[in-house]
Amino acid sequence: MLEIKNLHARVEGKDILKGINLTIKAGEVHAIMGPNGSGKSTLSNVLAGREDYTITEGSVTFGGKDLLELPAEIRACEGIFLSFQYPVEIPGVSNMVFLKAAINAKRKHLGQPEIEAVDFLAWVKDRVKKMSMDIKMLQRGVNEGFSGGEKKRNEILQMLLLEPKLMILDETDSGLDIDALKIVAEGINTMRSPERATLLVTHYQRLLDYVKPDFVHVLAGGRIIKSGGPELALELEAKGYNWLDAA
Amino acid sequence: MLSNVTAALEALPSLSTQRRIALDALLQFGLPGKKEEDWRYSNLSILDELTASEIAPSLQNYEFPSAYDSGLDALNTALAGGTQTKILDGGSTELDTGLHQRLHIKVSGEVELSLIDKTPSRFSTFFAVIELAPNARLRLSRTQHADSQAQRITHLTINAARDARVEAVTADLGGRFVRNDVFVNLNEAGASVQLCGLYAPTGSEHVDNHTWIHHRAPHCQSYESYRGVVSGSARAVFNGKVFVHEKAIKTDSETRVANLLLSKTAEVYAKPELEIYNDDVKCAHGATFGQLDEDAVYYLRARGLSADMARALLTQAFAQEIIDRISNDDLREQVTARFLERLPR
Repeated sequence: MLEIKNLHARVEGKDILKGINLTIKAGEVHAIMGPNGSGKSTLSNVLAGREDYTITEGSVTFGGKDLLELPAEIRACEGIFLSFQYPVEIPGVSNMVFLKAAINAKRKHLGQPEIEAVDFLAWVKDRVKKMSMDIKMLQRGVNEGFSGGEKKRNEILQMLLLEPKLMILDETDSGLDIDALKIVAEGINTMRSPERATLLVTHYQRLLDYVKPDFVHVLAGGRIIKSGGPELALELEAKGYNWLDAA
Repeated sequence: MLSNVTAALEALPSLSTQRRIALDALLQFGLPGKKEEDWRYSNLSILDELTASEIAPSLQNYEFPSAYDSGLDALNTALAGGTQTKILDGGSTELDTGLHQRLHIKVSGEVELSLIDKTPSRFSTFFAVIELAPNARLRLSRTQHADSQAQRITHLTINAARDARVEAVTADLGGRFVRNDVFVNLNEAGASVQLCGLYAPTGSEHVDNHTWIHHRAPHCQSYESYRGVVSGSARAVFNGKVFVHEKAIKTDSETRVANLLLSKTAEVYAKPELEIYNDDVKCAHGATFGQLDEDAVYYLRARGLSADMARALLTQAFAQEIIDRISNDDLREQVTARFLERLPR
């Protein structure tokens, strides 16, 4: 589904990614772990299409298409979803208007008619309930005045509605208490399917207790320096990242 | 200067003595020039571009004052043919600001007044003095969607008596040269005003809003919020001055102006000002200038919205804060539609 080859990216004259190689197949869950400043968020944003980064080398294909050629909105419509580490607050644009615009943008891209208002409302309400969110939040501005946990839940809500092919979760567990973490993890798990792939980007092992990865990679200094199974995450948790530098 | 105004008035079927006096007063005072602080950014010499027929004075004659305060006052009186008096004691009323008019409006009870730029004239001056009786409540909207050649001067004086309340919203979404003055006098205790405005000039349009709010009595409230969305090579001016007079203890006043600049060539001059002559007051003011939040644009794009759509949605959200205050549903929808169709693509 996703194939990253020798990816180099730079921002403000500084090389952040220095040759990433990663292949993710449909149905797989990959976790990328690493210390702060290792390039985790850069990788997430490069995949989602943020324009602040310059790709200096390498390639990324998604479903056979050259991903780096596509603007962020087309990537989203093609099925890439980034759950942001720090979701933006957008006062004045209601969640309802935003969610509908996002769903219809995708449908338009796929040549489907706009969603019926009644169907949309029923569908949204069901998913809001699933995320244990207050239905009133739909009338509020996007993430406006939301707590850290509410913002993360709102990200997962959007993911449930947009039904992406590749879910990239950037530090989704940060700032969550244990109850919110469980709800978020459940949201991610309901989306797991043989057609969908997941990339969990995280500093801690905590989220991986609830969302079991198939593969764990360690990102440090802009490169994947070690890959393994779920047991690698536990080892990192026990020994810290320094252990890898020494090895 | 003003020879075209003289020619337009002399071309009338008959020029009454009273109107002749108004014209003479205009010629004697002249119009305010760039050296006057309140006219620094708005140059009235643009009126010279008008032909005598475009000046289009009213054919009617009404009441004339015995003396004139200023050249602009005399200009409007001469072109409108004097002052009409209107009594509003309830319900909704609509008036056309696309024509030269000079009005004295007496408001009591609960009144909705819509000032709409209807006549597609090249030039109009609309001056009104609105008197609110004690306990009166006025919901006032003024909307202007004139074409890109139009020149508009409006001047509203609002006098509020005891416990009277005004909620005013203005929207300027058009016009080559637009100048709006609003004077509010909170004359008696408990009077309050909420004055909100949206300006969104584009292309080479020029919109200037000047407001003066005088707190002249104790326990009065004023809240003022203007928002500007300026694109192309347009220029916007906002000056909001609040005066708290010595007697006006327990004044509660807030003035906010926020601007969104959508192009490198757009210009905004915005200044809230305060003059306070007693210590027992609560006053706040602030001005902001900025561009769209690019993080928000990226966020929306990452959810599939095109860059144009993301920008339009964010710009609309900024303006909606003011538009939503328009109480008349039809008018609010018209303003929203006009605002969206004028956004840069």
